[in-house]
Amino acid sequence: MLLDPGMDLTLRPMKYPHFFDRFKDAIKNTWTVEEVDLHGDLADLAKLSPAEQHLVSRLVAFFATGDTIVANNLVLNLYQHVNSPEGRLYLSRQLFEEAVHVQFYLNLLDTYVPNEQERFEAFAAVENIPSIARKAEFCFKWIDSVFELRALETKEHRRAFLLNVICFAACIEGLFFYGAFAYVYFLRSRGLLQGLASGTNWVFRDESMHMAFAFDVVDQVRAEEPDLFDAGMEQQVRDMLSEAVECEVQFAADLLEQGVSGMSLTDMREYLQHVADRRLEALGIAPIYGSKNPFAFMELQDVQELSNFFERRVSAYQVGVTGSVSFDDDF
Amino acid sequence: MTLTPEKTDKVAVPEQRRHAMQVRKRNGETEPVDVNKIVTAVERWVADLDEVDPLRVATKTISGLYDGATTAELDKLSIQTAAELISEEPQYSRLAARLLATFVEKEVSEEGVTTFSESIKLGHDEGLISDETAAFVATNAEKLDAAINDDANLKFEYFGLRTVADRYLLRHPTKRTIIETPQHWLLRVACGLSQNVDEAIGFYRLMSSLAYLPSSPTLFNSGTRHTQMSSCFLVDSPKDELDSIYERYHQVAKLSKFSGGIGISWSRVRGRGALIRGTNGKSNGIVPFLKTLDAGVAAVNQGGRRKGAACVYLEPWHPDIEEFLELRDNTGEESRRTHNLNLANWIPDEFMRRVEADEDWSLIDPSDAPELPDLFGAEFDEAYKAAEKNAVKTVKARDLYGRMMRTLAQTGNGWMTFKDPSNRLSNQTGAPGNTIHLSNLCTEILEVNSDDETAVCNLGSINLGGHITAGGVDWEKLRATVRTAVTFLDRVIDINFYPSDQAAKSNPRWRPVGLGLMGLQDAFFMLRLPFDSAEARELSTRVQEEIFLTALESSALLAERFGPHPAYPETRAAKGDLHPDLWGATVSQTERWAAVKAKIAAHGLRNSLLIAIAPTATIASIAGCYECIEPQVSNLFKRETMSGEFLQINTYLVRELKTRGLWTAPIREAIKRAEGSVQGINELPAEVRELFRTAWELPQKALIELAAARAPYIDQSQSLNLFMAAPTINKVSSMYLYAWKAGLKTSYYLRSRPATRIQQATVAVSAPPVVSPVVSLIPALTEAEICSLENPESCEACQ
Repeated sequence: MLLDPGMDLTLRPMKYPHFFDRFKDAIKNTWTVEEVDLHGDLADLAKLSPAEQHLVSRLVAFFATGDTIVANNLVLNLYQHVNSPEGRLYLSRQLFEEAVHVQFYLNLLDTYVPNEQERFEAFAAVENIPSIARKAEFCFKWIDSVFELRALETKEHRRAFLLNVICFAACIEGLFFYGAFAYVYFLRSRGLLQGLASGTNWVFRDESMHMAFAFDVVDQVRAEEPDLFDAGMEQQVRDMLSEAVECEVQFAADLLEQGVSGMSLTDMREYLQHVADRRLEALGIAPIYGSKNPFAFMELQDVQELSNFFERRVSAYQVGVTGSVSFDDDF
Repeated sequence: MTLTPEKTDKVAVPEQRRHAMQVRKRNGETEPVDVNKIVTAVERWVADLDEVDPLRVATKTISGLYDGATTAELDKLSIQTAAELISEEPQYSRLAARLLATFVEKEVSEEGVTTFSESIKLGHDEGLISDETAAFVATNAEKLDAAINDDANLKFEYFGLRTVADRYLLRHPTKRTIIETPQHWLLRVACGLSQNVDEAIGFYRLMSSLAYLPSSPTLFNSGTRHTQMSSCFLVDSPKDELDSIYERYHQVAKLSKFSGGIGISWSRVRGRGALIRGTNGKSNGIVPFLKTLDAGVAAVNQGGRRKGAACVYLEPWHPDIEEFLELRDNTGEESRRTHNLNLANWIPDEFMRRVEADEDWSLIDPSDAPELPDLFGAEFDEAYKAAEKNAVKTVKARDLYGRMMRTLAQTGNGWMTFKDPSNRLSNQTGAPGNTIHLSNLCTEILEVNSDDETAVCNLGSINLGGHITAGGVDWEKLRATVRTAVTFLDRVIDINFYPSDQAAKSNPRWRPVGLGLMGLQDAFFMLRLPFDSAEARELSTRVQEEIFLTALESSALLAERFGPHPAYPETRAAKGDLHPDLWGATVSQTERWAAVKAKIAAHGLRNSLLIAIAPTATIASIAGCYECIEPQVSNLFKRETMSGEFLQINTYLVRELKTRGLWTAPIREAIKRAEGSVQGINELPAEVRELFRTAWELPQKALIELAAARAPYIDQSQSLNLFMAAPTINKVSSMYLYAWKAGLKTSYYLRSRPATRIQQATVAVSAPPVVSPVVSLIPALTEAEICSLENPESCEACQ
């Protein structure tokens, strides 16, 4: 079974080919930090109102450490326990992507925050800014809960591990990051910080894959060991998600405290609840809130893009095209 | 909301929620937000918009507001709110546009401008408007002011007007406030090109009806102090020496500063490893020089309005061709990557013949065969074969072609343009020594140039959708539009400011213009013709014939009055060969063709070239139509521009769904889920689904065949994008060989789609039962048995 302790090394016959497919798909989405042009953002930053500047500086401070936490959990917990060589291939790829995200946000802060002292403070946000510290605490709580486990020997161990996976997929990548992306896309819908938005597009695409993979793992374990998912487990997941929503709402209250036209705290809360409901649905658990998405600009993220090439680098091209020259294929 | 009370308590609820929300007025006073006031402001505009709910806009606006916001913020938010409802009901696009027009008018009137002539006077006082235009408007103020038709604003869609407001309307140089309304702007553009007031008003009316628009540089700059109105510049390759290379950087910077898109060849510069006699060293090849060009292009932005853009052309016999094809890769050594340059291959037929025959291909250093860039046809073939004995390297033609295909599939770039048909089928290559060395940034311009002549072209496009009636094309209206368009395109040549000496030298001699077409897809939707039908192809060909024929008549008429362009004797037309003759095409309007030939024989042509189908990215959105000759990319898609993101929805489809009672939330969600495809909506009859296929769902062969059929009536070329959701080398290589055999002069982007996608944020996790899922969402690509746009190889049905 997938969570059996050990170090399976055999790729043939392949037990979980859909993990391998995810690995191959991820490779096609390769992008590099150098492709993101942040230069135009500098002029926008100068134009922002004090309330918007506050929003951006808090947001950037969250980005400064968010992906690093995810990467750490991946190495310390996920990789250790997902006992499938093809699953580990995907996780290796994910680790690379997290590293690219870290580099992207590093580059972002170096560009956005030219003052060195302020930059140090931004990176120390996990300690200094209460609304970010609260989110970090939440993450560490769920890292620590399985950190001591060297092998998943019992059902309780496996439940604890699943909660960790679900926390990182549904709450951290699937809610904290989705919350952060909403601010970015809100600003972009106003024509602001397009560089950040274009990098975020790629990060968003990667994070969607990470979440989907983690849910694959959960589904796989559920198929192999259905009794792990009892009522108690379900209640724990619901409690976890509502705590995550609370964490993110208090972060939103901080970001929006000076009043940002077009993004009220009421709407943001509703958005987060909506996202949380969708994560529960994906896990086959009844939704908590029944909230609707109030942000039309997030709907735009669901629709394929057509960039005016004069203005933006198109982000839709693929890496890793296969085949050889031929003259009689259909097209 | 079902959040439990004790949880809410833990959250810091700001004070603002506890009392009635206030807004701050312009005079500093505050007042409570009033829903009714917003409702009234909206109601003013909804007479012809029966589906718009003013109360909904008002309440939604207030929900996004914060306590203490300004009334200007409130106004902006109501515009944004209306715009965000477009995906539910496209009429909100018109509403948002009208609210925006009101907002702009408020801003303009706060600058003390209430009439057109006042706007021009303010612009002149602030150093923006030229003395000539200011004087022209002052003299004719009364008539011109009376010509302004504010009702024309009702035609704008939101995305179009937003683009106009953000980027086209003149702004006060220090305050940055807008000082002209959208209608003032179009009349200003007309006045900048007119010799009398009636002519100006006629041209203004044509533009404000959105049936025709000149290209962006003309819309930006006409009537102003810097009248650079050309879109395209074609710069010949630098000579194989340092001074010439650095002169080109300087020229490109100057051209780029004034909003021009640049094509530049690099085929004459020696490759890596070639000997440099002056220092007895070896050359590092063209890549380091292109890296410098890349940085130069990025540094010069076009008056703050858009980034500079250039495309480098290289012939495939150049020794550095393989490194050239890697310039846009996103991996590898950064010092050998150019992220801002576009790349195009300038391909001789001989290369394609060897690809087909699976033969060898020689790479030849230009310092060993400096004549190659200037030759085409049999002369090129002969010189190339002679130079092969000094080849730097020999490769398999197919390997190199495969490499080109890989670049196209991976980056969309590395466009395939064909040197021999481009030259053989050009009016400008009638005399020896005149050679077309490259195309331009968008692959629709083909003009001769040389070391000391940079080719220039100014453009404009007819909105075909604006020329369709219930009975089909309004041919008389189309002819009238062409006549006006040619007159004013020709006018630009004399008034234009030329940013480089080389450009100033070329344009008066050849006087080329590029009259294009947009909204072909609109016309097909209106007439219910599937894009790949024989009727569609016939219509597109006849429209193009009509446009070209009328343009020739107009240009001959101008020649009768003002004389032919000076280089006329060097053209093929001077020998009696018009473009359809070069193609051997069978024309449909035999008598008119004979008449225009006679006229040209008597008076010549005022313009060496007349037609080019440009991509019309921006002006099509201003006009609210589909781009140039392209099929729709999706029934629902997002545009990203410097102004933000905009949802574009196929209003023809919405109308169709409404008449069938199918414009419902589940269907809307299904379309979004399928990324704008309607192929899975089984409630729609097959012929309706066929009509509303997207570019990804059409056979690309049809696009190529449509292009080839209209090509005899396009004396320059067309920006032809091709679409393949998941390209493979096999498919792409088959497609471009077909395009070459069909006789196309040029092609443009190969558009593809991301391998995986963002999880959709707003559509429900499980598919609603009303439709069968066409695209598998979650997990994205594992359900290979389901036909997916992302993964079309698993299903041939939608290709």
